[in-house]
Amino acid sequence: MIECAQYRRAMLADPHAEGPALSEHLAHCPECPGYRERLLRFEGRLTRALRIDAQVLPQSTQVLRKRVPRNERVRRNGWLAMAASLVVALLIGTLWLGAPHSSLAADVVAHMAGEPDAWARTDVAVPAADLAPVLAEAHMRLRPDAGMVSYAQSCLFRGHRVPHLVVQTDMGPVTVMVLVHETVATPRMFDEGGYRGTIVPVPGHGSIAVLIKGEQGDLAQVESVAARVKDAIVWTG
Amino acid sequence: MWIYALPRGPHRDALLLRPGYHEPEADLYMKDDVGGNVGRARFQALCQALRPDLLRFAFWLSRDLALAEDVVQETMLRAWKARDSLKSESAAKPWLLTIIRREYARTFERKRLATVDVDELIAREEPMLAAAHDQDLAELRTALFKLPEEYREPLVLQVLMGYSTAEIAAELGLSTGAVLTRLFRARKRLRVLCGEDTSMDPEDTPEDLSKDCES
Repeated sequence: MIECAQYRRAMLADPHAEGPALSEHLAHCPECPGYRERLLRFEGRLTRALRIDAQVLPQSTQVLRKRVPRNERVRRNGWLAMAASLVVALLIGTLWLGAPHSSLAADVVAHMAGEPDAWARTDVAVPAADLAPVLAEAHMRLRPDAGMVSYAQSCLFRGHRVPHLVVQTDMGPVTVMVLVHETVATPRMFDEGGYRGTIVPVPGHGSIAVLIKGEQGDLAQVESVAARVKDAIVWTG
Repeated sequence: MWIYALPRGPHRDALLLRPGYHEPEADLYMKDDVGGNVGRARFQALCQALRPDLLRFAFWLSRDLALAEDVVQETMLRAWKARDSLKSESAAKPWLLTIIRREYARTFERKRLATVDVDELIAREEPMLAAAHDQDLAELRTALFKLPEEYREPLVLQVLMGYSTAEIAAELGLSTGAVLTRLFRARKRLRVLCGEDTSMDPEDTPEDLSKDCES
């Protein structure tokens, strides 16, 4: 059996490491289970420290635009500031109403952390009697071709009750949030916090967010599921 | 405290000279029409989706948010130019991370920045470090700033980007044993900097940790 020092060195290199010798040591050592637990708590803090909130990061709407070097930006900024302030004053009202909220994807991802059980892979569908009232709150029904719904909750999201569904697909469980109060102008893909997804506009009915856990598939597959679910929604109001 | 940020040497040269690294063009946004609007929109949406994690990676690499933003923006322009070498969307993130590392190395090549003042960096990025509104996290972020790049980079790739040891080794051009040693030392040093109880931590390790971790 390996020694404590070997076990702890392996844990410090990768706290999630697994293997028969590591498991055997953990099962028989009186001290290392506590050590591992403390290390995993530290690892959780480290992960949160590295994952800077997307809302704090600088936003950009044109990722393929050449940036002006920083020293040149400083020179230009004085003149630009005066002109920009006039333009901004005129545009800000209309842009605020029309533009997608920059942190919508981050809020959707943050909401996932509160309901980890929803991601279970299962072949048990939510009874129709339970699903209908959740959908009715958003004035909608769902045709069967959306896929089997294994989870349905009415969740509080940004001050509104919204349907939070999980649909079982070939690539595993896919979460769908129907955001009738959130408007986006164009589809917005995201890949953050371990989730990949897209928020697609639904003219007249806000938007829907569709997402998977990162390792399940790629964004093209998510888009395909989003299109299918969107087509399967029947709006009743 | 003064430390070397990206010392000159064969490793950096190897990074810059790897095949497939494309020279920058002028303003692609203005000139390019290859691939049509649909391809461009698709690529832009993909980059936009990956941008938060790319910025996080560049920030922890450079410890300078403005520089990170410049590097990520330049990376996307280079990636657009080299988009034919991207085989699938699922490979986009590691591909872009590699370009970020090279672009960061090029930045230092252009500016000939040999050293950085860590205390100055910490003071400049204080709003970012304290953005978590959690004293514990702010301390941990400050400690990460003090970690030498050779330890910080593999740690960020493992914890933030979910890279396996083998993937980190391939990206950094190291053996898996060397990567494990750096990860071990990174956490050990971080725990000391954060005032954790390290009485049960093992002593420092030989250069190759792979035997312990294969257990």
